[in-house]
Amino acid sequence: MEISAKNKIIQDLLPQKFGKPGKIWVSVLLLFCAVGMYAYYRQLTKGLVVTGLRDYVSWGIYISNFVFFVAISLVGSLITAVLRLSDVHWSTPLTRIAEIIAVSAITFASLIIIVDMGRPERFYNLFIHGRLQSPIMWDVIVITTYFFVSILLLYFPLLPDLAILIKLKGKTTTWLDRIYHFLGSFWKNTTEQINISNKAVNILSITIIPVAFAIHTVTSWLFATTYRPGWDSTNFGAYFISGAFLVGAGGVIVAMYVFRKSYKLEKYITDSHFDKMGKVLVLLALLYLYFNVNEFLVPAFKMKKSEEEHLLGLFTGEFSVLFWFAITTAMIIPIIILLFKGGRKPLPAFIAGVLVVIGSWFKRYLIVTPTLLHPFLPMRDVPANYRHYFPSWEEWAIAMGSLAGAMLVITFFARIFPIIPIQETITETEELAHEKV
Amino acid sequence: MKKFKIILLSALCLLLVTQYLFAQPIKNDLLLSLAYFNNNNQTQYLKATAKSKVNGKFQQVANVSIAFYIDDASSKVLLGKATTDHSGNAIMQIKSVASEIWKSSATQNFSVSTQEDKLYNASEANLAIVKAKISLDTLEDKSIVATLLELKDSNWLPIKEVDIRVAVKRMLGELNVAETATYTSDSLGMVTAEFTRDSLPGDSKGNLILIAKLDEHELYGNLTAEMIVPWGIKPLVHSTFNDRSLFARKGLTPIWLELLAYSIILIVWSIIIYLIFQIKKIIKLGV
Amino acid sequence: MSLDNSSRRDFIAAGILGSIAVAGCSSPFDPAANEVVKPSGEMVKLLSVDGEIIEVDKAFLKPVPELSAMTNQAERMGIPGRKFVMVIDLSRCKNLKKCQASCNHAHQIHPDQNWIKLHPVQESEKTAPYWQPTTCMHCDEPPCVKVCPVDATFKRQDGIVLIDSDRCIGCRFCMAACPYSTRVFNWEELDLPKAIAEKPYSCETSMPQKVGTVGKCDFCPDMVRKGELPHCVSACPNGVFFFGDSNEDSVTNGAETFRFSELLRDKAGYRLMEDLGTKPSVYYLPPVNRNFAFEGEDQGDVKH
Repeated sequence: MEISAKNKIIQDLLPQKFGKPGKIWVSVLLLFCAVGMYAYYRQLTKGLVVTGLRDYVSWGIYISNFVFFVAISLVGSLITAVLRLSDVHWSTPLTRIAEIIAVSAITFASLIIIVDMGRPERFYNLFIHGRLQSPIMWDVIVITTYFFVSILLLYFPLLPDLAILIKLKGKTTTWLDRIYHFLGSFWKNTTEQINISNKAVNILSITIIPVAFAIHTVTSWLFATTYRPGWDSTNFGAYFISGAFLVGAGGVIVAMYVFRKSYKLEKYITDSHFDKMGKVLVLLALLYLYFNVNEFLVPAFKMKKSEEEHLLGLFTGEFSVLFWFAITTAMIIPIIILLFKGGRKPLPAFIAGVLVVIGSWFKRYLIVTPTLLHPFLPMRDVPANYRHYFPSWEEWAIAMGSLAGAMLVITFFARIFPIIPIQETITETEELAHEKV
Repeated sequence: MKKFKIILLSALCLLLVTQYLFAQPIKNDLLLSLAYFNNNNQTQYLKATAKSKVNGKFQQVANVSIAFYIDDASSKVLLGKATTDHSGNAIMQIKSVASEIWKSSATQNFSVSTQEDKLYNASEANLAIVKAKISLDTLEDKSIVATLLELKDSNWLPIKEVDIRVAVKRMLGELNVAETATYTSDSLGMVTAEFTRDSLPGDSKGNLILIAKLDEHELYGNLTAEMIVPWGIKPLVHSTFNDRSLFARKGLTPIWLELLAYSIILIVWSIIIYLIFQIKKIIKLGV
Repeated sequence: MSLDNSSRRDFIAAGILGSIAVAGCSSPFDPAANEVVKPSGEMVKLLSVDGEIIEVDKAFLKPVPELSAMTNQAERMGIPGRKFVMVIDLSRCKNLKKCQASCNHAHQIHPDQNWIKLHPVQESEKTAPYWQPTTCMHCDEPPCVKVCPVDATFKRQDGIVLIDSDRCIGCRFCMAACPYSTRVFNWEELDLPKAIAEKPYSCETSMPQKVGTVGKCDFCPDMVRKGELPHCVSACPNGVFFFGDSNEDSVTNGAETFRFSELLRDKAGYRLMEDLGTKPSVYYLPPVNRNFAFEGEDQGDVKH
């Protein structure tokens, strides 16, 4: 491969300073984070009374946001591991996007669960008094594990790129340079090093799949291990995982589009990528739709007394608008858009991705809240505001702040590191050229 | 006309203000009641209860200091002072404090009083009793005989036609020994009750405490007699407290769960640690 | 007057409460205490709160319950040999809510909340409506305890399920897990009298309730240790609540005492949501031959 072609790739894929839109984007995210922090400060000083939560609806958008984060973080394992193990190469440019989404989402999942705690300062009790019988303990264990596995899966493929960045020393500021040196000055691109790294990535790709399944299955068990209508379901683990893959893939399409536009990566994230991801998304949407049919049709057929109010509330009652909105935006409309070849062009695919993400966020809300409003013993002896739930501004601010924070982490990561693996792109281009010869 | 209105208004104001300024805080009346208890003819004590009317309802008053007196031939002798508890009760022993006076007569007069304080007016109550006692005995066929006697001129004489409760003492209540709750004493002051509570759990040895009671009698007060009998069964204590279960404490996790969890953790984390060593290896190769 | 050291200690024990415990009121949990206390003949001079010297037989002195602060460890173990149960007789309930009021007052609960709730129940359109008080069911296989990640809520050997508010992290998983919706959460700092707020938390009194932690009915083990009935039981003028020890096979509402097994057998007692397998310690007697008609202004929650 010609040196100039190689340099072109490096030049194209180097992390770039924020332009004007980048700066505006970061400022907006920072503003959201600041408002969220202020809201959390209020919650810390006054207690959870600042939320709309009360005794009957004791879990609200913090928990649904947590489920959303855990769900979207699953995409790391899908794009990197599943596709890698099935020897799919077109997804190479997307692996790092998927991995950083996974890392930042799982980080904010842990943070938002602390926000939901009434006594966050007693978090250490989980370590000194931890009971292995509790699904929360399982969640703490698997989320920590997933975080470390994801970090490693992000780190190993980054090593060759760090070496490239260090080589181009003059072009980066000293502050960044120090980070690169610290993380990867020892990478000399020797065969031995490459072999160890490749083997490590293979091991990680296998390991991350059961761990990823575990985080979301255990998260679904936080609900499914209770008796409540709408949660008491053996379908829940699979239902959650299929939904997680859907929202994760949707998130990747959104991120692909944004990075492609802002970093001018049309040559690397091509129309074909959108086409293929679009097909993946259709498949996942159909899968999730299948589990939704299972989850609602079967209990609706029986209409047990305890389930009746809950189901009717979703189908035709107070949550029906939100319910059908979530079903159509997260599944039906994206399927329709992406079934057409024209729908798998970057812009329509991006729109479908956005719809999936938004619909999925509300879907999580519908999994958590309506169930709590229909306890076995009807709500009784409580003030009127205990009988309904609408998130307070503090809850919205914290939830939005956490979403902004997750995007901020991704943004800064792309500012510091190449968002598309440089070395792997070069290698694959070389291999392609080789095959042609 | 207007002037007149102003004068009237200011007069009214003045009236209200003076009323407010010179108003005395209204003190409540304290209602004392006094009861006499004789347990097993061994412990005799007095119980005073302090109540007060709040919003038309009687409520117990705590933290009231009550002075207890016993009447001597000519004067009152202080038995002691006690403060009421949260249920308005204060208790005072008799025998130990004034045993000479107590022994001197078959009838006794007691009184209690409180002094006026910031909240309540002074109050007092009196009680006259005739010394009486219950004794308990059992027969072979699990029947219980309780005898009620009163002291008259240093002789114990039977008390007739009085209702006595015979029961088994329980943690927080008293369970009748049979369907009937009370028995009326005959000319010998005796009642006989059949014990029909088959296989009733008792203490760890299967013992039960029988109790015979005369409640709130106007002459004799509250009398009780207790007796331990081996008529019960040992309680069948079934406890899962120290078993391993999903609802047990930390450290009592079911074995299957511990094995499952720890083996998964072990496998996954040894992979992670192995990979960290691989990074070390890469670092070594690069130096 | 000279007081030796030991009697000075006794004076403190007896003097602060200002009352002397006597035989007959002795603790029901100490097997030895079930025997009648015999005067030892040894007299102790005590100083009452008012400065009066009183003389008391040493045998009648016992530590004042309020002073014998229990260790957290002991509170978690519970009372050996006991298995506390409650029987609620629905035929007697008139929705007077005295149980609720006395419970709220005794535990200083947030004014918006109740540990005891009174449900108007009507199973179906043509079946009879009745009032159903609910407390914590103190299940033998408690779903709330299963899910607690830090042992903050626990099942004791006497069957009581309690909460350690000094340990609770406020995750509210137990609230989601409880099918009886028994648990409440302290969403804000409570406005408690200083004397209560400054006390160290006790699992047995469940006081003082703390912000950011979960609270619920505790079966009043502190009262039971004193030989008294839980607040709801003694507050009910209709004797709806019976409390007792199933190992002793007896329950009482203060005025009446029944054999627990006979009461359940004769009146066909049952438990709520038996099908869930939680095995509650609270039994209900069906609302047959009711003493009162179902009436009241707040029947709005009746669900068919």
